[in-house]
Amino acid sequence: MTNLLGAELLKLRTIRATWGYALAAVGFAGLMTAGNIGSRAELERFDPEFQFKLVLDGLFPAVILALLLGMLLVTNEFRHGTIARTLLVTPRRRILVAVKLLAGTAAGLGLALLTFATTTAVAVIWLSILDVPLELGEAGGGLWRGFLAAALVGTFGAAVGGVVHSQVGALVGTLVWIFVAEPIVWVLLGLVDLDGVSEYLPAATVLGIADSEGEGLSYAATTANLLGWLAVAAVLAAFRTERRDITS
Amino acid sequence: MIEVEGLTKRFGSTLAVDDLSFTVKPGAVTGFLGPNGAGKSTTMRAILGLVWPTAGRTAVLGSPYRELDRPARRVGVLLETFDAHPGRSGRNHLRVLASAVGIPRSRVEEVLALVDLTEAGRRRVKGYSLGMRQRLGLAAALLGDPEVLVLDEPANGLDPQGIRWLRGFLRSLASEGRTILISSHVLAEVAQTVDEVVIIHHGKLIRHAAMAEVEAMAAGATRVRSPEADRLAALLIRESVDVRAAGDGRLTVAGTPERVGEIAAANGVVLHELTVERATLEEVFLELTGDDPGERGA
Repeated sequence: MTNLLGAELLKLRTIRATWGYALAAVGFAGLMTAGNIGSRAELERFDPEFQFKLVLDGLFPAVILALLLGMLLVTNEFRHGTIARTLLVTPRRRILVAVKLLAGTAAGLGLALLTFATTTAVAVIWLSILDVPLELGEAGGGLWRGFLAAALVGTFGAAVGGVVHSQVGALVGTLVWIFVAEPIVWVLLGLVDLDGVSEYLPAATVLGIADSEGEGLSYAATTANLLGWLAVAAVLAAFRTERRDITS
Repeated sequence: MIEVEGLTKRFGSTLAVDDLSFTVKPGAVTGFLGPNGAGKSTTMRAILGLVWPTAGRTAVLGSPYRELDRPARRVGVLLETFDAHPGRSGRNHLRVLASAVGIPRSRVEEVLALVDLTEAGRRRVKGYSLGMRQRLGLAAALLGDPEVLVLDEPANGLDPQGIRWLRGFLRSLASEGRTILISSHVLAEVAQTVDEVVIIHHGKLIRHAAMAEVEAMAAGATRVRSPEADRLAALLIRESVDVRAAGDGRLTVAGTPERVGEIAAANGVVLHELTVERATLEEVFLELTGDDPGERGA
């Protein structure tokens, strides 16, 4: 299992797309942090709650990119026909799905680490220029949330890739689900007075766990909800991957 | 040892493999032959656990491939479709595979050198020629120093030197007692390499025989030309030898030249020609598969 996970991470490290995602994470995190600091009044910058949000918000791009990178982990195999070789090495497909999920977790954590380092570096430099001390001790307590969110969403992304093997299908399907399908479901649920249910839907859950505002469900409830969706997606991924004929 | 028993594979309404059974023995190179679309690749993928049989079973080294312990170290595979990420270098492709099964990186360098890709190993595989891709595939197949090799069209894209090298290399691996199955749609291409042939068509087994037996089939009939063709034909028929008139004093005889010559001499028949009519291996192959070249233009 360790060898297989190592190989999956080596696969990620040896393609350009991964580094593109890492660069995007660093860029978004840096811009968001700089924008957050620059848009605040001087006094607000001293506020520990603002500084806490600053660091957590910096992790938001990691969570979103972890979803995409997680999907890439699986869909790339089908897009480039490398799945056959992967299955020759790991013919027990459920084990392969489990390894892919773990690689999604690791990818999410890696992105979170990268964005955290970027956010902290930008915040420390910018705030020191403004003569504002950064109290990371305040943020540190809640920091694990961002890391956990990125790890879980990376895993969820890999599971989604395991269900929808087509790369275009997975990416377009996810965007359509987030921006079209789920909002329609929200509206429909609202029509039958079930607005509360919409907070449990997958896109709301993923965006909710990455959100530092703390609106809607509690963090624990959102995490539990995401774990539920993750379990559903993982089972579907295992079933879909297990039965698929690899003919090309 | 590779075993295929009653294998049937259906994709929707298409029957790709139809109740196919054969065994590939260790210590020999077995050619798996059939025209394009005969079901060779599907059979190989079923053997390797990549497609689910509709019926029947396959086993490699006594177990279904999916149940083998560390199969990549025991079974080397070259698939017809290229299976490396185009953006990854050849060396990194092999390192990923080696890492997954705990093979040391030094072995990656060994197999790269073996297929003459040491220099090209640092380049992205999307820039590789067909021959280089094939050699990288062979390197991947050999990475685990496997007991069994399953190679789908291994000579594809190789230059004549590469084909000669591959032929010798496979022979030497077989002589070490390894099990080798190679597919091809050209009998002549593998004739010098294989010990046995399994010929399939429309997913069905047509012939499983020693290569020597197939070559004997190519020996064919005897062609005779005589100014007394009719008399000779009557004499041969009297001796229970099948004869077919080919016009212009020519006969095609289902017997050896020695036998025909003896009958002619004993009866004072003058012969102007006495030759073995040898079919090419491709003609034998087409006869076995019942494939009419005229139908294959599309």
